Amino acid sequence: MKSKFKRKLSFADAINEAQVQAMKLDKNVFILGQGVEKGAMVFNTNKNIEKKFGSKRIFDTPNSEQAETSFAAGAANAGLRPILIHQRVDFMVFSFEQIVNWISLWSFKSSGKCKMPLVIRAIIGRGWGQGPQHSKTLHTFFSYLPGIKVVMPSSPSEAKGQLLSSIMSNDPVIFLEYRALYNSSEHVPKEPYFLDLSSPRHRLKGKDLTVVSMGASTLTVLKAAKELSKINIKVDLFDLRELSNFKMKNIFSSVKKTKKILVVEDGWKNFGIGSEIISKISESGIKLAKPARRINWPNSHVPMSSVLENKFYFDHNKVIKSCLELCKKK
Amino acid sequence: MKKKEKIKLYESLFYIREVQEQLIKKYRQGNKMRCPMHFCIGQEMLPAVLRQLIDKKDSLFCGHRSHGYYLSKNGPLNQLFAEFYGKKTGVSGGMSGSQEMMLEKINFYSGALLSGSFAMSIGDAFSKKYNGKKNLSVAIIGDGGMDEGISYEVINMAVMMKLPVLFICENNLYSTQTHMRERNKNLNIYKKLLPYGIKTSFINSNNPEKCFLKIKNIIKDIKSSNRPVFLEVMTYRFNAHVGPESDDHYNYRSNKEINSWKKKDPLNFYKNKLIKEIKDFENINMLIKKKIKNKINNAFKYAEQSKFPNSFEKFNYQNTYSKKVKNFYNNQIPFDEKQEEHKPKASSPY
Ligand SMILES: Cc1ncc(C[n+]2csc(CCOP(=O)(O)OP(=O)(O)O)c2C)c(N)n1
Repeated sequence: MKSKFKRKLSFADAINEAQVQAMKLDKNVFILGQGVEKGAMVFNTNKNIEKKFGSKRIFDTPNSEQAETSFAAGAANAGLRPILIHQRVDFMVFSFEQIVNWISLWSFKSSGKCKMPLVIRAIIGRGWGQGPQHSKTLHTFFSYLPGIKVVMPSSPSEAKGQLLSSIMSNDPVIFLEYRALYNSSEHVPKEPYFLDLSSPRHRLKGKDLTVVSMGASTLTVLKAAKELSKINIKVDLFDLRELSNFKMKNIFSSVKKTKKILVVEDGWKNFGIGSEIISKISESGIKLAKPARRINWPNSHVPMSSVLENKFYFDHNKVIKSCLELCKKK
Repeated sequence: MKKKEKIKLYESLFYIREVQEQLIKKYRQGNKMRCPMHFCIGQEMLPAVLRQLIDKKDSLFCGHRSHGYYLSKNGPLNQLFAEFYGKKTGVSGGMSGSQEMMLEKINFYSGALLSGSFAMSIGDAFSKKYNGKKNLSVAIIGDGGMDEGISYEVINMAVMMKLPVLFICENNLYSTQTHMRERNKNLNIYKKLLPYGIKTSFINSNNPEKCFLKIKNIIKDIKSSNRPVFLEVMTYRFNAHVGPESDDHYNYRSNKEINSWKKKDPLNFYKNKLIKEIKDFENINMLIKKKIKNKINNAFKYAEQSKFPNSFEKFNYQNTYSKKVKNFYNNQIPFDEKQEEHKPKASSPY
């Protein structure tokens, strides 16, 4: 197919389409959360859903994250497929008790007899002057927990497939949407489709170094890789989908070839996904030519002031620099 | 109430009491039940009444003091004891013990952390409304659980969304060893709820029949109005907060208080009432006792003879999908490699 015939969707529209298709596919799917059908419709991801499905299937709640989460959990246990939305992951922290002590262990404590087919969508990451209470990612908080799937898409087509798979999953899924991605766009197939969440997507093929990233950081790496390819440095890029569980097989074979690993992750450095990947590589016994590297946020809360904000976040130049250093012949 | 109903109510009271007493007796023998247990001696009235009034399809959510409620949903005794023994045949396959049992086929759910199970009842009730079912959800909580903020969030949401939930608070005056008056200005919880716009009801009586009639009406009301009701019931726990031994040597409650409640023991009260009312009650009672003791002995045998589970990790995830998912792409999407980035707008809503 020629690219001009391919339909493009924004990240927000892809999420919207996934929800609409899931709601058509299964009448048990419904959406709840604070202001989900009002105003900006959660970055436009919920536009026209009330018009299409009515207020029975998408509705506003009081500002009670704990009760909302228990509500969703009770409904999921009874066979419905709720999508609970938090406009920022920071608000979701109110419901840690429900996630940690109930939802994550629901299947476990029933010895596998009870299901919790619930999706919690939360917006994460960099905004504009958002300061320390509206910009966290917290993805590793949840990934640490058994019984929960944590999913973080990096592009519109990934977002659609991953959200459809999350909604239809019989396990609870925390679906993290990096805010900077909403306006990015690419080709997204029209029909509903599902992705194997535990298989990282082999996003770029290259022989020089292995890079692993997730969410918005994948977009940053793609930008860097484009520049690097101009000077003939080819990146082997893996884009994680499910952060709580991912197959390492292809990453291992890649690192065996390139002997270099860089993990790029929007979020704090300590105890991050990067730490996990690099320890897995270390445990596998693969010999590296250069010490493993990570690019993360500093271990600090996010400052508001735009000058500091720019200092806080990394960009594609930092990725290029790290790649060059890794590829330098001694 | 009909004679048959009265006898059944008495039988339920006795059943729940006797199960507790036998568990307490056996608990330390051979150290085979290795999980904390919160017994409910003295508090049998509510579960006994509910046993008669709720439907199998009504869901019940309760906390750590759950044995009575498990029996009120007619949960099998064999599976209950097997769970306490940590056996594969247990209610939760040996994963939860006494504090966190759940059995979906009888719509019974519980958990130890205060108010979490209570809170899930609203989503359960919503599912009934969503699917046009006439059943209700029953949510049980203690006075201690009503100290948690989420309890009020949940009641507010049930009111606003008109959900068929029967919220019941068993006020036994203590949270572990801390009295209500050390924790709250208002000793009655239902009074705090009046401004929430929920219908409330209050029972301060050891007469199971009064409780039965009141709850019967409340259930009728919930089913016809599709609105939640909050009921507070005064009660008292005779046993320790947790475990088979008494905890009264900590002196957190006075002998005078304990004795005054024991004098009002609902089981004794009701037995004496029925002896006066029903001619051949002594005989009926003998048969009931024999039947229940047999059932309990058999359950212990079943638990002893069952096997221990040998796996646990696989229960963390279902790793299955809705039956609606047919064509699984497994990564074979015709993705475009080109993703365009646009500058985010400065003035976004959040
Ligand atoms: C969130 C939480 N905090 C503390 C506890 C410890 N705890 C267990 S039972 C209990 C007392 C609860 O009192 P109440 O709700 O009145 O129930 P009762 O034990 O009297 O039946 C406490 C504080 C807990 N289980 N969960």
